[in-house]
Amino acid sequence: MDDADIQVFITGARRYFESIDASLILVVEPPFIKDRAEPFLEYTGIIGVSGRARGAVCFTANSSMLFSILGSLKDERLDEAAKCDLVGEIANTLSGNAREEFGKEFLISIPVVAIGRQTTFHFPSEIRNYVVPLSWRSQTAYLLVCLE
Amino acid sequence: MKLLIVDDSSVVRRAIERDLESGGIIEVDQAENGEEALRLYAEKVHEVVTLDITMPKMDGLTCLDRIMEINPAARVLIISALRDRATAIDAIKRGASGFLCKPISPDELRESFQLLIND
Repeated sequence: MDDADIQVFITGARRYFESIDASLILVVEPPFIKDRAEPFLEYTGIIGVSGRARGAVCFTANSSMLFSILGSLKDERLDEAAKCDLVGEIANTLSGNAREEFGKEFLISIPVVAIGRQTTFHFPSEIRNYVVPLSWRSQTAYLLVCLE
Repeated sequence: MKLLIVDDSSVVRRAIERDLESGGIIEVDQAENGEEALRLYAEKVHEVVTLDITMPKMDGLTCLDRIMEINPAARVLIISALRDRATAIDAIKRGASGFLCKPISPDELRESFQLLIND
């Protein structure tokens, strides 16, 4: 995975947020590298990747952004289950969409959801962990791409 | 019309139901994996099924195969995040009537649904 490949996931994120509300702009800030892969906001959807690449794709967000998205989707639930479900589904969508570029050998797992920083998911070590800040409706979430 | 919505995300299931609720549907069932979907489908043989692919217990393509065994004329619309041509072609060859890539807009969903039920 190199710098150019990250664009695939950014394209997916733009597509996702545009589908929620085309009138709102998703601001994608410059990606940066993080030493250690781990959840770092309140809710994190984690997709394990195998096959053509190995590692994980994550979407991590706070309650406030997840509530905003649920509201835009006209989903009236505001409970923990809805937030966990949503963050997992966003991670699933962004990683699944990457097959447009990487093909069907880019195999993805069902979502694992972490609340807080605790997770049983085993992130691969010694790879570059790209973090992409995503700002939407004045709130920031992060896309974390940790792939060999 | 009976509709079966299959997706492991309740957010997606609820969104699909809301988007299609004015489409002449009289009964909606939801399932969160392929196993549950098959049990419901065997009981009621829904006119239309929307089916995710990446799900726990039984994935959507395996579920599609089983549905087509039960009813070779089943109308199944795949709604998946897997945005690659090979997977879409595979699903159509197995008997799916259509393939939509997530994320989908309500208009896109309603249009595909109408095409399906008018077919």
